Amino acid sequence: MTSVKRSHRVCVIGIGNVLIGDDGFGPLVVEMFRCRYECGSNVEVLDLGTPGLDLSPYLYGTDLVVIADAVHADEAPGTLCVYCEADLLSRRAQLRLTAHDPGLQESIAQLRVADHAPAELIIVGVVPERCGLGDGLSRPVRDTAWSAVDLIARLLEERGVDCHRRLVPARPNLWWLPDVRSESIATA
Amino acid sequence: MTKRVTIDPVTRIEGHLRIDVEVDGGSVQKAWASCTMWRGIETILQGRDPREGWVFAQRFCGVCTTVHAMASVRAVEDALQLEIPANAQYIRNLILIGHALHDHIVHFYHLSALDWVDITAIPRADPARAASIADGVSNWPGNSRHELEAVQNKVKGLAGSGQLGIFSHGYWGHPAMRLSPEMNLILFAHYLQALEFQRKACQVVGILGGKTPHIQNLAVGGVMNAINLNSLATMNMDRLETLQSLFQEMIPFVQQVYFVDACLLGASYGDWFRYGRGVANYLAVPDLPVDGRATKFDLPGGVMADGNLRAVRPVQDWHDQAIRGAVAEDVTHAWYAGEGAQRPWNGKTDPDYTDFQDNGKYTWVKAPRYNGQPMQVGPLANVLVGYASGHPLTRKWTDTAFDRVSSASGMRLEPDALQSTMGRYLARAIRSAMLSDLALKHWQLLTDNILKGDDTTYNPPQFPGHAVVGVGMHEAPRGSLSHWVVIDKGVFSNYQAVVPTTWNASPRDQRGVPGPYESSLLGNPVADPEKPLEVLRTVHSFDPCMACACHTLDASGREIAQVKVL
Repeated sequence: MTSVKRSHRVCVIGIGNVLIGDDGFGPLVVEMFRCRYECGSNVEVLDLGTPGLDLSPYLYGTDLVVIADAVHADEAPGTLCVYCEADLLSRRAQLRLTAHDPGLQESIAQLRVADHAPAELIIVGVVPERCGLGDGLSRPVRDTAWSAVDLIARLLEERGVDCHRRLVPARPNLWWLPDVRSESIATA
Repeated sequence: MTKRVTIDPVTRIEGHLRIDVEVDGGSVQKAWASCTMWRGIETILQGRDPREGWVFAQRFCGVCTTVHAMASVRAVEDALQLEIPANAQYIRNLILIGHALHDHIVHFYHLSALDWVDITAIPRADPARAASIADGVSNWPGNSRHELEAVQNKVKGLAGSGQLGIFSHGYWGHPAMRLSPEMNLILFAHYLQALEFQRKACQVVGILGGKTPHIQNLAVGGVMNAINLNSLATMNMDRLETLQSLFQEMIPFVQQVYFVDACLLGASYGDWFRYGRGVANYLAVPDLPVDGRATKFDLPGGVMADGNLRAVRPVQDWHDQAIRGAVAEDVTHAWYAGEGAQRPWNGKTDPDYTDFQDNGKYTWVKAPRYNGQPMQVGPLANVLVGYASGHPLTRKWTDTAFDRVSSASGMRLEPDALQSTMGRYLARAIRSAMLSDLALKHWQLLTDNILKGDDTTYNPPQFPGHAVVGVGMHEAPRGSLSHWVVIDKGVFSNYQAVVPTTWNASPRDQRGVPGPYESSLLGNPVADPEKPLEVLRTVHSFDPCMACACHTLDASGREIAQVKVL
């Protein structure tokens, strides 16, 4: 486990396509994380969509990266799975980066060779129920979102990253979820 | 004996392009391009407020986010006949240039260089000799013997630990890999250095767009960037200077490294100027407007038929009636209901899946046609129409490229040679060098206009009570992109995106005429059907990205790349 100094670069990244059902888990989680937690200025919170190999510039030269994404695992929908880089490279985790596989594995591999890969990489994954166009989020995945948010905060705190729960939560901007009023997720 | 080879998936960023070829006597006799997943993503825009369409459109694809956002606002502005302020035009242009430079660098080094560069040859290179070769063609400081030796040691380490497999798709040691160990080392060193310059391009887009990869600053009617030279929180001299220095750091990498490498690659693989011509009709739309009304452009557009550089019809602006009337999409061989072609404004997207049928339907990509003809789009179309119409910047960089290829190999290239697999690589590098010059020009246009006292960035849209139609055109990194919209009662009643990869990955049409990927593969050499590297070279030369082309989603999970030889 890395111990992160204030000067270190930390990224919390959501990956997935918000238009395609549970694939939007990553972007949802980072937006909710931004609203519940406040971090030091060395922490970037990013919704990167489905960048494929274009992930590399965001991972470049970072010290700690936490990625929220939908993953394929032999578990019930809504189950949270946590992986480290070794799991990823050994292909134990079959990560589904929507249409952009094999973006994450190749980005990391590239950056390793260039000596600019993140010192530590953690993936907080959820097992999706359905990924159809305009499906919105399934109940099990939606119910898991806050646990994922708090888990990310705990992972950061354990590593010494400046990350505090906000006294007054910010209002999430979940423009892609017409069926969910922002408040109902924010207060779940 | 004819062998059938299936490659699935083909691309390094997208897992849904399948190529089938029949190989006989060492070359391709028949080819099919198929996109294997459907998503019909435009349907999500129907019934939505046109002012927010771009926010959804930029999620069509995770790689080309900004280009869809831009085409979407332009389509609505076209329908409303809404002009935008000059500042808005320049800010959009700088975002488009930043994105395009990023995209072209990634394509050359990270998505396709390993089709030509054999990493396993690098340990045999002499770093001193490599440094002197690189020094002879470029004044880039990253070519020192020390730097190249460090890269070589990394590769030796990887090879020693058996870790080269992380560079998947690598056909190491393939007989079609012909670079010297030193050239392999130089190109791979630049592959690693390119990672740093991608970051700078992202920073440009981030500063102007508020966020990246999903920009936040667009609006129908302009951009939402506040301009105030006396405010710390807005676009001010500080930010303009940051932008300028980012471009100044990127440009040497584009012009001294990427451009030079593309020329060296062409010089080393001269025979690839003879393969991969395919559909020789080209379409490019004008882009980088220099005035608010978009009457003059820095990238020329045009239509070229039958590979004839002497007969290019220039496209003056986005009002070009010929383009608006000529585009139709044919679904005879695509998995949609119906037969024949429809105009995008009346286009439908009703799925009708069969199996992969060689003579029937075999893909989720529709077949766009221009007056019934398939068209090739992309940087090559851009460069050809510019060259043919005497556009000075296109001529300058194309001639420079030809001189460089010639001094490295003795081979004299004519513009016609660009119509080939290697020509597409060279054209993309030429376009990147041009865009680098234009970045500084449009930065200056923006700065001068602001210093003149103009701080407007937005003209509010007004929606008429009756139905209106519009088309938003953009010459994106992969080629001409158009979004076709119908707006009625303040919402979209139809929305169709005709994207570059749809033009290039088009299947056969009603008359059986194949699309650009398919026809470019005919006659392509294949030394070993078990390792169809040469097929990948030609397909990758188009920079395929299937996310928006086939409107795809992967509901079934991770696909394993497979090459099947029957």
